[in-house]
Amino acid sequence: MKKKIIGLVDGQSGNIGSIKKAIKDIIQDKPYQLKIIQSDFNPNSFAKIILPGQGAYATLISNLKKLNIYKSLKIYLENNFPYLGICVGMQILSDVGYEEKITKGLGIIQGKIKKFDKKNLIIPHMGWNSLQVNQEDKVLTSSFNEKDFYFVHSYIFEQAKKSDVLATTKYGKNFPSVVKKGNVYGVQFHPEKSHKNGLQLIKNFILNS
Amino acid sequence: MLKTRIIPCLDVVKNKVVKGVNFKNVKVMGNAIEMAKFYSETGADELCMLDINASYQNRKTFIKTVESIAKVINIPLTVGGGISDLSDITNLLNAGADKVSINSAAVKNPNLVRQASLVHGSQCIVVAIDAKRFQENFRVVIKGGRELTAKKLVDWALHVQKMGAGEILLTSMDTDGVQEGFDVEMLRSITSKLTIPVIASGGVGKLEHFYKGHLTKSTGLLAASVFHSGKYTIRQVKRFLDQKGVPVRL
Repeated sequence: MKKKIIGLVDGQSGNIGSIKKAIKDIIQDKPYQLKIIQSDFNPNSFAKIILPGQGAYATLISNLKKLNIYKSLKIYLENNFPYLGICVGMQILSDVGYEEKITKGLGIIQGKIKKFDKKNLIIPHMGWNSLQVNQEDKVLTSSFNEKDFYFVHSYIFEQAKKSDVLATTKYGKNFPSVVKKGNVYGVQFHPEKSHKNGLQLIKNFILNS
Repeated sequence: MLKTRIIPCLDVVKNKVVKGVNFKNVKVMGNAIEMAKFYSETGADELCMLDINASYQNRKTFIKTVESIAKVINIPLTVGGGISDLSDITNLLNAGADKVSINSAAVKNPNLVRQASLVHGSQCIVVAIDAKRFQENFRVVIKGGRELTAKKLVDWALHVQKMGAGEILLTSMDTDGVQEGFDVEMLRSITSKLTIPVIASGGVGKLEHFYKGHLTKSTGLLAASVFHSGKYTIRQVKRFLDQKGVPVRL
């Protein structure tokens, strides 16, 4: 049987070691294989794509363009193929980002990426925080409600449509921590750093979505 | 709600965790990889490891240890010790560190903090500050506490925050190793001024000390001996804090 291909995008935005290891652990003995995406690709040849990101929105977008990943990825997402964006990999699904400079995003999930603006809030939001699951889903099941995940970010997804927000997290205010449209998912936290709960979520995405 | 992080710290020589005051009476506590795995599985929120004997020969072994640890844990890993330039930082991140902790090198060359945060993002740049009381002030010390600098702690902390540090790890040389509690006054002097997270380090000996550390508004509490010696498990600490009403990941 031909193995389905999981693509892991290396947008040169933080190291991909942990997520690579997590994916490998999940797909061993399963009919999947992992391919690292470092340049343009055929959107039809991947069963799932995961894009982890750290650092700035503008930097990730410009890296993806420089590496010729951007166009293929946009086509992939516009086809509503399964995608999991992590941290900045989630944020770039929005229309626009305001980190460093105003940068146009992929425009897949409605919203704007803006800095936490509350006074006296320690920034970055760094550490473990819980999810409030608003809409149950095959990837984000209700068992994740009130579970802790590891966050590190200073910018949040603003003005999202309520129907696109699967879960929120409270830090200063409630912000979207899991967004979804069709088969495209974005998580603000780092599941690859979030111990058992995080691995379960990645597993759900790979095996159930 | 954001949880207070409990962070075990491993002082590493090659691939062994050691305990010793100022490199004297160094005692091997265990294998670094096994201990890291154990802490990750028993509730640590993050792991810190320091190359306390950084030298050219030992560095390769240490980097290998970082790689091995990154493979067996799935919580964030902060690595420090022996960082002098941008390439040291890149090497550690490539080896699997999520954050690097810069100490003396930042004092010698504050621009390194700016460069590193521009290249890798503030979120992975921790500035470790060692400080002690001097006259009416807290002053920054380097070289493991052996060299007093002219820098005032608060000024220095604000400066590195401006330069792009994502977090500060503050160790009080007055309380470190004494096991009589964190340096509450010193911690407060910076948490009241900074907007970035502060990790408290140095002095934990009892459960109550973790609670007092939390009250300083430090969002991470670091300890070594009480965990390595088996005096407390991480869960014990967390249950204690939970009963006190401190948000922790149980």
